[in-house]
Amino acid sequence: MSKLKLNGVSKAYGATLALRRGDLEVMAGEVHVLMGSNGSGKSTLCKIIAGSVRPDEGRILINDTPVTITGPRSARAQGIGIFYQELSLAAHRSVEENICLAALPARARLFVDRAALKDRAARYIALFDGVSGEGFSADALVGNLRPDQRQLVEIMKALASEAPLIIFDEPTSALDRAQVERFFEILRDLKRRGRGIIFISHRMDEIKAIGDRVTIIRDGETITTLNLNETDAGTVIRLMVGGAGDMPASQSSAPAAVDAKDGAALTVRNLSGAGFRNVSFEVARGEILGFGGLHGQGQSALLRAIFGAGSVSTGEILIGSDRFDATSPRDAIRRGCAYVSGDRGRDGVISGRPIIENVTPIHYLRDRLMIARPSKLRDKVAPALESMHTKFASLFHPINSLSGGNQQKVIIARWLIDRPDVLLLDDPTKGIDLSAKADLFALIRQLAAEGLGIILYSSEDAELLGNANRILVFNGGSVSRELIGPERTRYNLYQAAYEAA
Amino acid sequence: MTEIATSPTYRRAGGLRILLERYPFLPALAIVLVLLALNGVFSPNSLSYRSLTGLLSTYMALILLAIAQTYVVYAGDIDLSAGSILSLVNVAIVVLMERWGGGAGAVLLALAIGLLLGLACGLVNGLVVAALRLQAIVATFATSIFFTGLALYILPVAGTPAPTIFWRTYGGRLLGLPFVFYILVGLVVLLAVLSRTRLATQLLAVGDDQQAAYQTGLPVVAIRIRGYLLCGLFSALAAFCITGDTASGDPLVGGKMTLFSVAAVVLGGSALSGGWGTVVGSLLGALTIGLISSVVFFMGTPSEWQNFVQGLAILVVLMAGVLAGRRARP
Repeated sequence: MSKLKLNGVSKAYGATLALRRGDLEVMAGEVHVLMGSNGSGKSTLCKIIAGSVRPDEGRILINDTPVTITGPRSARAQGIGIFYQELSLAAHRSVEENICLAALPARARLFVDRAALKDRAARYIALFDGVSGEGFSADALVGNLRPDQRQLVEIMKALASEAPLIIFDEPTSALDRAQVERFFEILRDLKRRGRGIIFISHRMDEIKAIGDRVTIIRDGETITTLNLNETDAGTVIRLMVGGAGDMPASQSSAPAAVDAKDGAALTVRNLSGAGFRNVSFEVARGEILGFGGLHGQGQSALLRAIFGAGSVSTGEILIGSDRFDATSPRDAIRRGCAYVSGDRGRDGVISGRPIIENVTPIHYLRDRLMIARPSKLRDKVAPALESMHTKFASLFHPINSLSGGNQQKVIIARWLIDRPDVLLLDDPTKGIDLSAKADLFALIRQLAAEGLGIILYSSEDAELLGNANRILVFNGGSVSRELIGPERTRYNLYQAAYEAA
Repeated sequence: MTEIATSPTYRRAGGLRILLERYPFLPALAIVLVLLALNGVFSPNSLSYRSLTGLLSTYMALILLAIAQTYVVYAGDIDLSAGSILSLVNVAIVVLMERWGGGAGAVLLALAIGLLLGLACGLVNGLVVAALRLQAIVATFATSIFFTGLALYILPVAGTPAPTIFWRTYGGRLLGLPFVFYILVGLVVLLAVLSRTRLATQLLAVGDDQQAAYQTGLPVVAIRIRGYLLCGLFSALAAFCITGDTASGDPLVGGKMTLFSVAAVVLGGSALSGGWGTVVGSLLGALTIGLISSVVFFMGTPSEWQNFVQGLAILVVLMAGVLAGRRARP
């Protein structure tokens, strides 16, 4: 009997299709693994089941009865529990309060029954006795715990739902071996008791160890469901990657490796800091260096640190042949370093202000402009925007009137008035449409041809393979592999990224 | 995947830190004691039983208003209409008591209606902020104007006196003890009961991380509305105290108290961003504000400089509280 069945579920955020066609069937007593690359729609699928995202279309059946899930509360009532990848904990509440938060035990319907709360929480805390680490106790505040301990609390919270179907969206990313082993024992026990479990992980060995069946999602579509003991890692990765997996990423003009005869634009030696350690590399003038790997393996932290917005503990950075230790982004900009973030809202857009003001702040800073006339500025702004094929009604319209892609073009245009030497791109195409992406990469290649050193971190592997001369694959904060020339295939990229950390 | 941190960012919990975590209002308590001592230095008489009773009955309204504010701040919201609710309830009960003849029955009935009025105002705020999802700071600013308008309609000019029985009781004694002491004891019991409710924990969880609370399956909208209901209720209680203290109705009496209530909440160690705080802290915060004005007065500050010095003193106290509170916050 299937515990849960999804038929043709889809979800779009504006123009971006997060999930095109999700199909899934989970049986009682199985651990069902979901696999797919970054942004393939796994998390969206899970959130739809858990009620925190409403699907646009599709049918959900629980125990073969169609249901409508209106929110997390309704999902709980239908017997669905979830471990959220980004955690759903209250930092200022204690471990035991967090575990029981969804259904606080009550006396007289009004008061918290402290004794019952302690009892119930203790049951789940006991499951991880001995592996939960120093400082972990029922009354510790969650905000004081280490990341792995917080993840344990979220696991306990999901278990405390005692739901017949529990979703674990990357529950092991911060756990150590012993903790994972204990967690898997608990999962096996749940399996024996006939619960259905959906499990997401990027570690191949874990999936082999705990999974029964695997459903593969690619570009928002369910590809297939396989029995895990009848298949091998290579097949699974090939299915995740799609038909083009074995071929090198020879899109029309895959860039060749650049020899560093023009000298290095940016050199990084043994750099360590918060989120990355011991990273060394060189970017030649005219080269596009790709950063690959799973999300949050230190790529963004490293780029921000180079730009002076993050912290560096040891190591050195050189621009050209000069020592470059930016103390602040302001300093980095003055010395010819540019940074474009995919998180436009936080790092780029000056919200509510006209387009012209959004294009010129870097120009003001680098030229130390005090007073400017709009007519003069316009002559500088117009070519920068045109080179990106930016569509806008007038320079004085607010930037919010533009689409995401055009906003990002405006943000990039601000770096084009005074050319930088080094361009750091931190997942720059997040949430923008295909044609804007094409314009953007055409420009990036042109800039490289003009001699800029460019670092491109992208969560979409196709972008890396199609544009980067070399790719450094990040794993756990350091570079685990360098892919050069014909090695740059989707298969290699996945393999390097998914290797057990 | 979570970001990988190479250096652990968590801190070991030291003795002081654990103490502050458990009793976040300790800095506020220390400040109150220091201010009491200062009062004693400048005017030994100000520590007498009578003066302290007077201080308490004057500032009981602000204490209640600060507590009202605390419950919405718990959930990360704010209520800029608390003072206007106080004014509205103040004029409503004074007018009703006068209409109904000012007897004991009339007073009690008017008080009951005052409580309902406070709850109704809280409901309006809750619906506007939580259900309609308007920005709390602006939405409650708008409702504050609206409530003030109602208060001015009920009583256009300040001055209608409250019945003698009412303010005599408030300012008088019962079994040899000042009546405000009974109010204080009753309040402490009420706060202790409320802090054990599920609602208190839920409000704090919502204020901690609203998205997480929603994903956990908490009824976030209903919880926030209940926070505003509590706020309205305590604002009405504050109105009773101000009526007892001033013995008259004034449609604008609460206007400037709103921001004092917010200040008291912060002085008491609560986070305006929500998820962290205590009502006891707010009680002490309100007392701090009262004691500061009293110190400023007893220091013999010239009257034209009193506001200046008072503002400065609040800033200094706020800084002291922030420095202590920063260690306590995880």
